[in-house]
Amino acid sequence: MKNDLGTQSQILLDISKPRRRTFVSQLQVHTIPMLMLLPFMLLFLVFLVYPVLKSLFLSFTDYNAVREPSFVGLQNYSEILHDPRFYKALQNTSIYTFSSVILTNIIGLGLAMAFGSQRVLDQILRGIFFLPAVAGGIAIATVWKWILSSEDYGLLNTIIGWFGFESVSWLGMPKYAVPVLIMYTVWNGLGYSMILFVSNLRSIPNELYEAAAIDGASPWDRFVKITVPLLRPTFIYTTVTGIIGAFQVFSEPYIFFADVHNVGGILDSGLTVVTYLFEKGFYRFQMGEASAVAWILFAICFVLTLINLRVQRANESVQ
Amino acid sequence: MVGEKRHPVLDQLIRLPFYLLALFVLLPYYWMATAAFKPLSEIQARPPSFMIKEPSFHNFFDPRWVFGEVSPLQDVTQGLFQRYEASFIGHIFLNSMGITVFVTLFSLLFASAAAYILVKHKFWGANLIFGLIIASMMVPWEVTIIPNFLTMRDLGWINSYQALLIPGLAKAFTVFFFRQVIMNMPNDLFEAAKIDGANEFRTWWQIVLPLLRPALAAMVIFVSLAEWNNFMWPLIVVNDANHTTLPLQLSQLAGDLSKDPRSAGVVMAATLLVSLPALIIFMVFQKDFINGLTAGSVKG
Repeated sequence: MKNDLGTQSQILLDISKPRRRTFVSQLQVHTIPMLMLLPFMLLFLVFLVYPVLKSLFLSFTDYNAVREPSFVGLQNYSEILHDPRFYKALQNTSIYTFSSVILTNIIGLGLAMAFGSQRVLDQILRGIFFLPAVAGGIAIATVWKWILSSEDYGLLNTIIGWFGFESVSWLGMPKYAVPVLIMYTVWNGLGYSMILFVSNLRSIPNELYEAAAIDGASPWDRFVKITVPLLRPTFIYTTVTGIIGAFQVFSEPYIFFADVHNVGGILDSGLTVVTYLFEKGFYRFQMGEASAVAWILFAICFVLTLINLRVQRANESVQ
Repeated sequence: MVGEKRHPVLDQLIRLPFYLLALFVLLPYYWMATAAFKPLSEIQARPPSFMIKEPSFHNFFDPRWVFGEVSPLQDVTQGLFQRYEASFIGHIFLNSMGITVFVTLFSLLFASAAAYILVKHKFWGANLIFGLIIASMMVPWEVTIIPNFLTMRDLGWINSYQALLIPGLAKAFTVFFFRQVIMNMPNDLFEAAKIDGANEFRTWWQIVLPLLRPALAAMVIFVSLAEWNNFMWPLIVVNDANHTTLPLQLSQLAGDLSKDPRSAGVVMAATLLVSLPALIIFMVFQKDFINGLTAGSVKG
């Protein structure tokens, strides 16, 4: 029926406007649409497509932003891949990424299961957990820096002091740099994953649980065999976007650890891939090497996403 | 628990650690809000106190402070509005606000128009363009910053509003998102408009945009939040006071914190001012925020 109507109106159109394929008629048909497409396309080409190609080109050159870029082949890549600082950045970022993604997934799911209902108290609690996703950013990272930084009047040290722990120099000790970043990011991101899990949990029909309960399945069985498999779309989404987002972390390590001379903090303990890129590009003006770092970052994100999707698909076929 | 029968004791047992977690999430906000109104003596108190004994506005403006007097023992410090003039704080606030509104408004207008044309207007190359848009979404944003910085420099746009406004207008994800929504709109609508003699521009303005409202709301939240908190790009293209933004100025102020713990109260006063708009908007539009952000994810 719908199709018939469609064809009819198509016929009507064809009768009312006989289209001759002349240049003028083509111009009439396409002018307004192309003008509507133009602003986005222009910006897209100038600030996204061209820069991607340009940075690929720059990654094969020696360029200090003043002299003309000179072609050096794979030298930038080989220099970076021989730089221990790059491996430090990569190690920090990897530990940071995997820990924060796993923790936000687990805690986010726990929160969604605990506070997923429509009761007013649960809605308020969801609002609280979601708060950092909105009012986060540099401002609250600055607050954290103060809570963490000071030796004995720092708030975190006071709190852990209540439980009998010694004061810790959170931002001054290399071994705590990555854990602090992970803690901040989990604090910041668990509300968002919670909200995603809540909407996914709501989509699971109650009959499934009832049927399983009748069959004598324990709550744990129901959780493992019904809830977890049916949450797969959200797991995929939070994991893939989480990995990509975490690999690109910049503002937090910059706020916590960067100073005038060094972006990575003590012994580069807080150096990440993007702060390393930033330092190469905008502290040292090694634009070629910085571009190569950007492309290595792209390759890493790309491969991790592929692996992730492959693993998820394999799980899917097993079930 | 969602989707399962409640077991009261187990339920509360599971919830207990999460109630503590909620306190932990609120803690920095509480700490910021109280510290902003604590006098210096309480800021420096060890151990720190959760209460404000003598609330004051001295972190914003301390009338006792005299220029040139620096005494580490004095319970007086330069308030935020003494360190920066009120007009300057207003200026960078307007900078941030203006950039956020401009980028959000125009990036969404351009993206929705482009998405509509790519879906509903048949022309050679439409799929090619869309493929390019999808491909560009896979490239991390950092790949573009060096060439874009060089472009800004070559155009003479370093330290200009153009640099803060124009490059941020090309948002591939929004086109992708709008395209998915527009594809599900019934074709009959557009054909009816065509029969009535509306051109593509009027159809977009009068039919597509109103129908896109929920999707637009979601993207307004995404784009405006990201823009309000944008840090890296202004850090790269701006180094003068005239074009600085709130996050940028705040990070500079926060740098003082590590040098001089006495400035903590002033820094907290500033962070309160910066996060207040986001906090108010969040409280008013909490539901829309949450719906908007889930709309960006996959459907189960």
